[in-house]
Amino acid sequence: MKNRNTPPGDLAIWIFIMAELSVFAIFFAVYAFTRANNVELFNESQLTLDRNLALINTLTLITSSYFVVRAVAAIRENNAKHCFNWIIAALLMGLLFLLVKSYEYNHHYSEGINLRTNKFYMFYFSLTFFHFMHVLMGMVILAANAIKTRAGNYTPENHTGLETGASYWHMVDMVWIILFPLIYVMR
Amino acid sequence: MYKFIGVRPCTFVYILLMVLTVFTWYVGVSGLSGLSFAFLVLGLSLLKGHLIGDYYMGLKTVSGIWGWVIVIWLILPGSLIAIAFYSAS
Repeated sequence: MKNRNTPPGDLAIWIFIMAELSVFAIFFAVYAFTRANNVELFNESQLTLDRNLALINTLTLITSSYFVVRAVAAIRENNAKHCFNWIIAALLMGLLFLLVKSYEYNHHYSEGINLRTNKFYMFYFSLTFFHFMHVLMGMVILAANAIKTRAGNYTPENHTGLETGASYWHMVDMVWIILFPLIYVMR
Repeated sequence: MYKFIGVRPCTFVYILLMVLTVFTWYVGVSGLSGLSFAFLVLGLSLLKGHLIGDYYMGLKTVSGIWGWVIVIWLILPGSLIAIAFYSAS
C-alpha cells in the first residue's frame, strides 16, 4: 500500500544517490561495450578472479543491509539499544567486506597484476575500488548514526538521519549486486 | 502484512537474496557461459536490486516517481549491458 510521496530519509540523499547511481550506470555500460570488442581478453582475465571471495563479499554486503533494515525497524519500535546493536553488526560486516577486498587486491598486486595489465583489469580495479570507497563512506555515515543512536537522538517519530544513512548503505549494496555478476560471472 | 508466521517480510527477502546470490555464484564456478546464462544472471541481479529498492530502501510504500527511481535505474544499465552482451555474441 502506497502511503507516502517521498522516500525514507532526507530527500537530498536521494538526489545524491541518483547522481551516484548514474555514474555507476555509465561505468557498467562502458565496461560492457568495451568487453564486446575484447571478449576473449575479458573472458580469460575474468577466470583469474576469485569467485569464492566475491561470493563471501556479496553475502556480507547483503547481510549488512539486512542488519541496517533491522536497525531502522528497531528504532521505529522504540528500541534504541537493539537499533545500536544492529548498526554495529552492519559496520562489522562492512569491515569484513573491506578486509576481503583488500586481501584480493593484495593477491593481484603480488602477482604483478595492476591497472595497466590490460583493459579488463583497468575496469576491474577502477570499478571495484570506486565501490570500495563508497563502502568506506557508508561506514562513516553508519558510525555517525550509531553515535547518535547511542546518544538517544533518534525516536520512533523522528529518525530521518538514520533512514538517510540506511538509504545510502542500501545503495552501496545494490551497486555491488550488479557489479558482482557483471565482473565475476557473466561471460 | 507486518509479520507472517512470526517472520518479518525483510527476513524473507534476505533469505531470497542469499539464495539468488549463491545461484549466481554457482553459475560462475560451474563455467556456465553464453548469452542465455548471462541474461539469466543479469535478470536475477536486476530482480535482487528491485527487492532491495522495494523492501530495504522502503520504496514499496512510496507513490509517484520516487517509488520508481530504482526500477528506472535498474532498467537503464541493465538494458545497455544486455545490448552489449548480445552484440558480442
